[in-house]
Amino acid sequence: MSHGQPHDHCQGLRLAGEEVVLLGQRALFWPRRSTLVVADLHWGKADSFRATGLPLPGAVVDGVLAADLGRLDRAVEATAARRLLVLGDLIHARDGVTPALTAKVAAWRRTLDRRGVERLELIPGNHDRHVSQLPPEWQVAVLAEVVDEGPFRFTHAPPPGADSAGAPYVLAGHVHPVARLRGGGDSLRLPCFHLGSRAGVLPAFSELTGGHRLGRREGDRVFVVVEERVVEV
Amino acid sequence: MPTAEDRATEEDRTTAEVGAPKGATPGGGPAAPDWQDAAPGDLADALRAGIGDFFARRGWRPFPFQRRAWDAFAAGRSGLIHVPTGAGKTYAAFLGPLAEVAAEAIRARAEREATEAAEDQARREAGGKPRKRRPGRQGSRPGLGLRILYVTPLRAVARDIEAALRLPVDELALPVTVESRTGDTTARLRRGQKKALPEVLITTPESLTSLLTWPDAAERFAGLSAVILDEWHELLGSKRGTQAELALARLRRFTAQRDGGAPDRPLRTWALSATLANLDEAARAAVGVAADDDGVTASGDPPTVVASDLERPIEIDAVVPATPGRIPWAGHLGLTLLDEVLDRLDPARPTLLFTNTRSQCERWHQAIRDARPGWVARLGIHHGSLSLGERERVEAGLKDGTVTLVVCTSSLDLGVDFPPVERVFQIGSPKGVSRILQRAGRAAHRPGETCSVTCLPAHAFELVEIAAVRQALAEGKVEERQPLPAPLDVLAQHLVTCALGGGFRRDEILAEVRTAYSYRHLSGEELDWTLALVEDGGGTLSAYPEFHKVVESEGLYTVEDQKIARLHRMNVGTITSDAAMQVRYLSGKRLGTVEESFLSRLEPGERFMFAGRVLELARIREFTAYVRRAKGRPGSTPRWMGGRLPISPALSDGVRRALGRVGEALAAGVSAEVAADDGGADGGEGPFPGEPELAAALPILTAQARLSRLPGPGQLLAELCRTREGHHLFLFPFEGRLVHEGLAALLALRAGRHPDAPATTFSLAASDYGVELLSPEPFPWPQVLASEALFTTADLAADAAESVNLSQLAKRQFREVARVSGLVFEGYPGMRRTARQVQASSSLLYDVFARFDPGNLLLAQARREVLERHFEVSRLAATLERLSGAELLLEETARPTPFAFPLMVERLSARLSAESLLAQVERMKKQWAER
Repeated sequence: MSHGQPHDHCQGLRLAGEEVVLLGQRALFWPRRSTLVVADLHWGKADSFRATGLPLPGAVVDGVLAADLGRLDRAVEATAARRLLVLGDLIHARDGVTPALTAKVAAWRRTLDRRGVERLELIPGNHDRHVSQLPPEWQVAVLAEVVDEGPFRFTHAPPPGADSAGAPYVLAGHVHPVARLRGGGDSLRLPCFHLGSRAGVLPAFSELTGGHRLGRREGDRVFVVVEERVVEV
Repeated sequence: MPTAEDRATEEDRTTAEVGAPKGATPGGGPAAPDWQDAAPGDLADALRAGIGDFFARRGWRPFPFQRRAWDAFAAGRSGLIHVPTGAGKTYAAFLGPLAEVAAEAIRARAEREATEAAEDQARREAGGKPRKRRPGRQGSRPGLGLRILYVTPLRAVARDIEAALRLPVDELALPVTVESRTGDTTARLRRGQKKALPEVLITTPESLTSLLTWPDAAERFAGLSAVILDEWHELLGSKRGTQAELALARLRRFTAQRDGGAPDRPLRTWALSATLANLDEAARAAVGVAADDDGVTASGDPPTVVASDLERPIEIDAVVPATPGRIPWAGHLGLTLLDEVLDRLDPARPTLLFTNTRSQCERWHQAIRDARPGWVARLGIHHGSLSLGERERVEAGLKDGTVTLVVCTSSLDLGVDFPPVERVFQIGSPKGVSRILQRAGRAAHRPGETCSVTCLPAHAFELVEIAAVRQALAEGKVEERQPLPAPLDVLAQHLVTCALGGGFRRDEILAEVRTAYSYRHLSGEELDWTLALVEDGGGTLSAYPEFHKVVESEGLYTVEDQKIARLHRMNVGTITSDAAMQVRYLSGKRLGTVEESFLSRLEPGERFMFAGRVLELARIREFTAYVRRAKGRPGSTPRWMGGRLPISPALSDGVRRALGRVGEALAAGVSAEVAADDGGADGGEGPFPGEPELAAALPILTAQARLSRLPGPGQLLAELCRTREGHHLFLFPFEGRLVHEGLAALLALRAGRHPDAPATTFSLAASDYGVELLSPEPFPWPQVLASEALFTTADLAADAAESVNLSQLAKRQFREVARVSGLVFEGYPGMRRTARQVQASSSLLYDVFARFDPGNLLLAQARREVLERHFEVSRLAATLERLSGAELLLEETARPTPFAFPLMVERLSARLSAESLLAQVERMKKQWAER
């Protein structure tokens, strides 16, 4: 893995004194703890739409999940992470957790063991209100809503105000950040990592998610994800 | 096909005849008409005579076209009535059916009374007392059930129509009930209608569709004998029109089922229009087509076209600024000419100021109010997003004379029994000939009278458009409205409607839908795909039992889930509008609706302009925005989707010819100064007799000629220009925005294929006059423009399809397709928070569909709609042929010219790129570094 090359598959940097790697697969890797961090998977979102009567084609339902799981696999392979930490919104809604989805995720979950991922952990988010009913075969360890570890505070929604100095650096999801790039009369909207001085927000992992532009403050670093590469903008 | 007789001219029309009854029964004073004594068989005839009586008492006499329409209806025919606004279409269509229904009602009442009398007699003979009977609602219930359905495109005019239809019913004391059912109808009346429908119902296409979801719809509509489609041109050519066509196909089935398929009074459909070019097609779309055995459709009985050549002389003039050059080069509000308009307004004379958009309407209302505070009491605002109460207040004021100046949109275009106003202003170019015909009809709503409209140019080129409109009117050019070919999104919605309304069977619904003109070529496969979409989401790869919108059991398709039923009924009306949020005062009083996308950007405490008032957002709860009155300046004015109107093809041709006239004059040595001295602005002779607008447009056109060129007929102007944004190509075919949007994408695709072309990304823009292709790096335009491959008609269909895909123009169109087919879920008042979890943007859905289900027919439909709208092959081919034959004028300009400038503010969201996404990101980064 090469670090620091512009627009490579990943981008290494120091965050709160720790070495972390931003991956083009919309994930963050924390080497010291061998932890791969992702946010907002929204599993079963397409299924949930269908359950409500919105006619999403089966090919789309299957395609979104397959693409997301494939990307997650590539991130695991690239990092050889032993632990997968989800910063909330693992599932989209209870009615989206269909037997078909349960079976597909369970099959994928079994392959994690073979690839050396020992734990799949979840910090519950607003969409995970029914986590107690997550299928047991997914083997998800549910953590507290706020978890402090090393210099980091993992949580689902980034805190609204500025934290006091000395507080842990927050890593969160929830807002599905996107950045808008402009050049001449041209513009693009892309999912991004938005790293502020006290908190960093991960891009939404699922492809079936919209996004919000965040106000950019002095000193914030923004890395867009494009074609599974990371480009600082 | 219509016969010559059907189209007979109005040989005996003169204004003198109005009030001089000839063929009609002379007015019989105030005495009640006495047809009750008529023999049953002659009853309808007697009633038709009574209609003459009704006319005579008001000092009218029926026009020959009205009599022809009544006779055609009585003879069992369907068709189209095409006469100018205000000529009496409504009564031409309504009184024939009314006579029939009234005859039936009177007979029914007589029979009932006879039976009751016999009963009473029997009781008395048996020594008892006559039974007490409760009079039904309005004295006539139990009624006959629904007989006449009057469909209007605008719910705002439903009440006017109701009043007009009630007039003969009340005056002739007919035992017939007239009611409306629209989005404005009160819950109480709705409940009454749920029990029993009136004999005559006025409704909109959306409300009609929602009536078809009633489980007993077949029974409710079985007795229908007439459907009247008012202002059919407003519906035709839109998905609302398609929705109406499908509803009519359903009604035809319901009525054909009664009496074993051979009713003595068949369902007859009559469409009404004042401004249409393609009458026969419009009539066929209204009446439907008969399906033959092998499923290929063929027309059955030819529809009757009742036309008249009643004249409606229209005079058009323009507000021309005293100082030339006061009008801006671009923009669409037109407020720079506010003072000129204020000078011409007279609050003592009833006046309508038509605007092209609701947003413009709000801004003008505010501007007039601020400039003339003394007029506030007489000033009103009227548009379709205002609540019923707000609209009614203004309409009532207009009728009783307390409100004399109304700023409005097309919400006041239509409708009958509207007090004629003295003056009509059109703010901004009317953009089409039909529109000005409609609006002019508001001044002096009487056949034969001259109507005049004063147009106000919003920017300098609209002066040319106004001159072009006048010329097109003089030549009798009116726009065509083409029915849409088989949109599957509307069909998907309709299938759910039918499943709710009693259910349907596959083969039956196929035959039924094919009787709708738009779907006459619908294939069995297309129906099956749409059926699968609403049945199981069209899932082919795996079984999804969770999805169960429509369920099939023993061949019958129905909806079982009440949640889905409710959701569908909510969404029935969403063909035309985006998610709209209610706006209410904190007290609960309704003001109207504003698109959610606007309100969601506001913070509590922010001020905005709506319903002619400055409001402050208090809070948003359950899809309702609560506001309070505020003082001071509003921060913003809401904008509603679909605001901007492109100029019509009929008009774009006129604009090219008007420019040609200016070019000739300039070549002959006319200058702006000379034109002004000649009094061109006052309508004097000047260089352009009868066209003072062209004289007024001379300053900007001479500036264009000085900075670049003014293209004449047979010439194509191309301008190259470099700005901070990048490298621009401007091209001016003057074909109207719809064609230009397609042309821009097509040219970008073809330019990128030139051997000298670097891989680049084009940002596209299109206006009514031209296209812009903007590239970040220099592009070898001189070579590319000289190449024959750019404007060739070879491979046009394939290239057009490819440019649709690459430019993502279809993404925009998919928004509508997704909404209509039920893919995108709209919010509604009281929506629970969890319902938000099933909302996704249509552009996100477009992306995942394109990636995971590229063969999806709804995607295909969005692409097809773009192809039809912007790449209509025959029109695009004609454009390309004209351009390839034109002399190319290639000019490099130091800055954007008067022609180019408006294009720079009209950038499309479309782009067409030959670079990878990553390369685009890199290029943008490089551009920032250079800055």
